[in-house]
Amino acid sequence: MSGLVLLLTVLAGVYLVAVLEEWSATGRLLLGTPVVAGLAQLSRESLVPRKPDRLLFETAPALLLVAALLAAAVLPLAPGLVAVDLATGALFVNAALAYVMVALVMAGWAPDAAYALIGGWRFLGQLIAYSMLIVMPLTAVAMRAQSLATTEIVTSQAALWNVLAQPLGFALFWLAAMALAFVPPFDLPVAPGELAGGVFAEYTGVRLAIVRLGRLVLVLTLALAVVVFFLGGWLGALLPGWGWTSLKTLGVAAVMLTVGRYVPRLSPDTLLAWAWKLGIPLALVNILWVGITLLTVQR
Amino acid sequence: MSPLVLALLVGAGLFGIGLYGALSQTNLVMIMMGIELMLGGALVNLVTFWRYLHPDVYSGQMFVLIVMTAMAVEMAVGFAVGIARFRARGSVEMEEAVELNG
Amino acid sequence: MMASPGQTVALVIFGILALGFGTAVFRTKSMVRSALALLGSMAAVGGLFFALEAEFLGVLQLMMMATEMTIMAIFMVMFMMDPGGLGQMEMTHQKRASLTAGVVSGLIAIGLSTLSSWAAVVAAAPTPSAQLHDLGIELMSRSMLIFETAGLAILLAMIVATTIALKAEEKR
Repeated sequence: MSGLVLLLTVLAGVYLVAVLEEWSATGRLLLGTPVVAGLAQLSRESLVPRKPDRLLFETAPALLLVAALLAAAVLPLAPGLVAVDLATGALFVNAALAYVMVALVMAGWAPDAAYALIGGWRFLGQLIAYSMLIVMPLTAVAMRAQSLATTEIVTSQAALWNVLAQPLGFALFWLAAMALAFVPPFDLPVAPGELAGGVFAEYTGVRLAIVRLGRLVLVLTLALAVVVFFLGGWLGALLPGWGWTSLKTLGVAAVMLTVGRYVPRLSPDTLLAWAWKLGIPLALVNILWVGITLLTVQR
Repeated sequence: MSPLVLALLVGAGLFGIGLYGALSQTNLVMIMMGIELMLGGALVNLVTFWRYLHPDVYSGQMFVLIVMTAMAVEMAVGFAVGIARFRARGSVEMEEAVELNG
Repeated sequence: MMASPGQTVALVIFGILALGFGTAVFRTKSMVRSALALLGSMAAVGGLFFALEAEFLGVLQLMMMATEMTIMAIFMVMFMMDPGGLGQMEMTHQKRASLTAGVVSGLIAIGLSTLSSWAAVVAAAPTPSAQLHDLGIELMSRSMLIFETAGLAILLAMIVATTIALKAEEKR
């Protein structure tokens, strides 16, 4: 029963994120956009490239969707409303999101096309940049909660949300989450102008619908992760737990989708240079800072 | 058959497949795949012994962490050597690397 | 959790998946498929760890192997002349000897596993949160030296790998 509730919640969330993405692109809030766009996509013809790696071509969109859903399964929406309450939840989110990279490399290789290959390989460069910046702020968050379980991480923020207690970690995790979801300005793998759609250029019809769905679930999952780990999850007055989670997640998703459109796309070497020369030292400073505050100040 | 023996069979099978691969392949990366499989078999055995014989002693899990570290380190250095070899010779076939001069 | 029949079934399923993907690594001609089949095998081993209630190790295995094997696939495409496997080249040598070695070593391991007399299987394992806590204590107290040495080894490997992989002109 609760599994069904969670699935419906994810679907509703995906619908609203799709509306938000349309709003961020055109500036108009049209609530019927996902239905219209989805039906239009499903009715388009499905072309397959001439000599694809058929197994990988079919698997990549499904793997993207499954990886994002698995990551969402360990994140709590309200006290008691979590699909799988793992004791190592925070680390499992990272593990599941690593398979997004596998899906994109598969999608880059499978269609036997140049732009797709370049897009997939560029995502590897992006992964090298963001993967440490995902894990290190999570380490600091787990230090404060003294547990890796996501429900414990939310309850540990009852006194003060992590965004205020660990602002540096929040900023790094936010940027790394944007890079993981390959939203602009980190949209190297699907660079619409430069690579003509990049990794997903050769996907059409039903498969493209699954790809788009997977990407929306990924954005939703990462927004939910930011909310759970840094913005206090379900904590807040007046509204019930799931109400606060929904509001915060949609707010984070809206900001993630809009901010990047005003910034030019980062080239791979700039991204890597900034991530490794600036980001990782800052993440280590964050861990040091959190350790010092935990040992000296009462939580 | 107890679950202990079943899991050990899996480890033995992975080791055998890995050894076949490591000895029969000519490409550096494929040899490394064989080595990864062998280490994977060893990991399965370690976790099996930890779980079914001494679940309250954590040396088993420490050993697994160290083996995973060794896997990552070996892959990193192996690929670096592969890159250097490729730049010097144009291929990473081990058959051509039998004489190591130049 | 107890050593239940469900656990044995999950163990067998993940074991068969791991062995199946493992054989697929060396049977397919496409290099990228080999690397991804190896990922499948290692992910099945991670699932096996979950079935054996070593949750932290399972999550670590899944996370590390996804990144490592994808990088392997990418290296394949960079360095091999025929990553798609469409050229029908023979990429193996000493097939009979290696097959013998693999089969003999596998049989020795199987023989040792089935014919030794193991102590009685311990029925219950600690809960995952207790395991995580105790593993942390173990890392920080008794195995601190091992932990620090491993960290140093990783740092050394990073420096070594970067130095080897730099082009010759850049090393000055």
